[in-house]
Amino acid sequence: MTSIRRLAAASVVLLPLISGCGRAPEKPPSDPLLDAIRAEEREGNLSYVESQGRHLFVQYCVTCHGDEAKGDGQNASNLTPPPPDMTVSKNMQDAAYVRKMIVEGSAGMGRAALSPPWGRTLSQQQVDDLVAYCQSLGRKKR
Amino acid sequence: MEVKTPAPMRLHVIFACLGIAFLSIFSWVLFHEETADWRTTQAAFERLEATIKNPHQIAQAPGVAGLRQIWLPDLGRTDRCETCHLGIDDPSFANAPTPFKAHPGTWLTTHPRDRFGCTTCHDGQGDATDYQHAAHQPQPFVARPMRPPETIEANCGTCHRSLDPPEAPRLAQGRRLIVESGCFSCHEIPGFEGLTFLGPALDGIGYKVRPEWLGAWLKDPKSYLSKSKMGNFRLSADEIAGLQGFLLSQVAQMPIDSAGVDWKKADTANGRALFGELRCVSCHAVNGRGGTTGPELTRIGDKVRRDWLFSFLKDPHRVQPDTPMLQYRLTGDQVRDVSAFLLEEYRSSDAGSESSPGARLDARLVDAGRAVFERRGCVSCHRLPSIKASGRVGPSLAGIGDRDPDALTYGQNTVRRTTENYLFLKMLHPEALGQASTMPTFAFTPADAAKITLALLSIRKNDLPASYVLRPPAPAPYRPAGRFGELVTRYRCMSCHTVGGFGGNLSTVPLDVIGSQLTRDYVATYLLNPGAVRVSIEERMPVFHMLPAEASTIADYFATVFLDDGMERYDANFTPAELRRGQELYAQLGCPACHQLGTRGGYVGPELSMTGARLKPGWIAAWLTSPGKYKPGTLQPDYGLSSADVRALTAYLSGLGQRAGGNTTARAQ
Repeated sequence: MTSIRRLAAASVVLLPLISGCGRAPEKPPSDPLLDAIRAEEREGNLSYVESQGRHLFVQYCVTCHGDEAKGDGQNASNLTPPPPDMTVSKNMQDAAYVRKMIVEGSAGMGRAALSPPWGRTLSQQQVDDLVAYCQSLGRKKR
Repeated sequence: MEVKTPAPMRLHVIFACLGIAFLSIFSWVLFHEETADWRTTQAAFERLEATIKNPHQIAQAPGVAGLRQIWLPDLGRTDRCETCHLGIDDPSFANAPTPFKAHPGTWLTTHPRDRFGCTTCHDGQGDATDYQHAAHQPQPFVARPMRPPETIEANCGTCHRSLDPPEAPRLAQGRRLIVESGCFSCHEIPGFEGLTFLGPALDGIGYKVRPEWLGAWLKDPKSYLSKSKMGNFRLSADEIAGLQGFLLSQVAQMPIDSAGVDWKKADTANGRALFGELRCVSCHAVNGRGGTTGPELTRIGDKVRRDWLFSFLKDPHRVQPDTPMLQYRLTGDQVRDVSAFLLEEYRSSDAGSESSPGARLDARLVDAGRAVFERRGCVSCHRLPSIKASGRVGPSLAGIGDRDPDALTYGQNTVRRTTENYLFLKMLHPEALGQASTMPTFAFTPADAAKITLALLSIRKNDLPASYVLRPPAPAPYRPAGRFGELVTRYRCMSCHTVGGFGGNLSTVPLDVIGSQLTRDYVATYLLNPGAVRVSIEERMPVFHMLPAEASTIADYFATVFLDDGMERYDANFTPAELRRGQELYAQLGCPACHQLGTRGGYVGPELSMTGARLKPGWIAAWLTSPGKYKPGTLQPDYGLSSADVRALTAYLSGLGQRAGGNTTARAQ
């Protein structure tokens, strides 16, 4: 009698374990929402912060700097000197330089006042985001 | 008498075992507490701090020993995250490894920890003190594990309830998509109360559209218009035939007004010229370019019947009372020419000729169509007097962000069972989750569906204390009375302009203080022949063919009602020194980079050579002082000018284009 009871108890404990081990390795469940957002980020090859900066760049900067920051915006032909190609500019690697340029404008860098100062228009967070985007420009597209 | 023997041996053994067990549990607890994850983490932090800071700074720094927590009773949160994230508010740990790294950005300044804690934004189990239990990664039985940055904007939305929350572009776009798609017509959605989404009223649709177009549209609206706002209801061929019959029978309400039009005399060249002059593309796209306020016209010739188009263009408000389209003042011949041009230019080559409206219809078909119309809730978006609205057909989405993910169905999908994945898949295809659904397919791209999902996730079950909620008050509808009111209605000013936040968003600045911004004479002249103030902007004011008396009425109304006292009181007696200084500043600040003056300058801002005749000095000064106040997101930067510099620039600008200031303009060149 006791042996039967033991056997029953053992099977209650062991069966799930055995069946758990025996199951074929399952595909891990996916996260389609996250995948969709990441796919969009990958397309632009931008991190979250950089894509925040991209939104600001489109709003405030593309008219002169161009959609891809190559210095070929709609208004670029009216500017002497024209805006630089930011995708190859070495200055973009210097975060402090980029930040100062955005906040104080080109006049703040001792150059012709063509690029306006955005420091009072944008929040510090927005400036951070823009700096991150500008720094991503030199990166090769995947 | 039996003498009671001392406790038997067995009892001794039990006591001994209990004692040992107690002792070992006690020491295990002590040991466990001493070696807890967070203690080793804190020790590691102290070692790191010693390498980052000098001994003096360390002496100054607050000690780290012990559990640290933020208790927020009004949010029902206890966040112990800082027990390990010790450098979170210390900039000297900006480049430290996790978990000691300082919080990126300025988020902790704008969202102080003692008010918001950590889990309000990040989710996760705030009261846990080790990595696993804090739910840094998704795990079973934890409803809200920490959000990755990709979806964190869903949590921004719990407090930030405006349609355009700051610095959360995905959330903002998701909410805009909800507004544009009119989800709230079928679902109750908290935060979107009071919004109405109206497709065109259908009481005259039998006159309006060609039957073959209607059939194709009902089968798949995207086949006609890739940006159609109407979803695909996945109707069967029978349902389509029924609906088509029912809708084509709707001819009673709208008399056609094109009798006596001699279409043979139609001059499509004149129609083309008018199409350009009237600036139709400010609202209607053709071939992918143009505004989005009205429907795209690229294939309008396949859709509407000629008589309807003529009647509509002649008096849109009679034919479709709730249309945002303005009523141009055009002659019958002009309307004929534009209609003929549209129908000839914007149609597919294979569109056949028109049949006459209200052709014999099978009564049974009409009844069947009517039943489909009622069942699918068409009346939620399209008014039809003969059908009574019967409430929303879709389920309420109140508290949708807190739906129990295990109570939802996922069909054949091997996805992680979360509310967000459920909503996302449902949005992509309503029947993707293995359940029949009456919700139409909107054919959102995955990226758009993800954004709408984020917007929905921010709708939570338990509301926050009112002090946390940021919701701008809904703008009060602006409906002026009198002669001015009639003109506002006729020319549909509120389709593009805003007053008190109410209205469309195509205009350059709100009209609230337009009387202090623009001179009366400028407004009166401009309305008769609106040109482009900004060269580069495609959406321009239509040429209304307005009567001079009407323009005067509007200009007078602006000049007496839409005023700002501060701007009106501005002292515009400038000294020659101020004028000179202003001219210097104009060059110094780099204004010509964006503004054209004469023949030189950029295309970004408005052309300035007539500024003095156009703008009032009080406005110029106010605008230069804080442009963002009058037009959030404007490209005009805030230069932080002193009031003396503002005055100087105002002196210079308000002299431009004035008779007295004509010389100033000449000097500037």
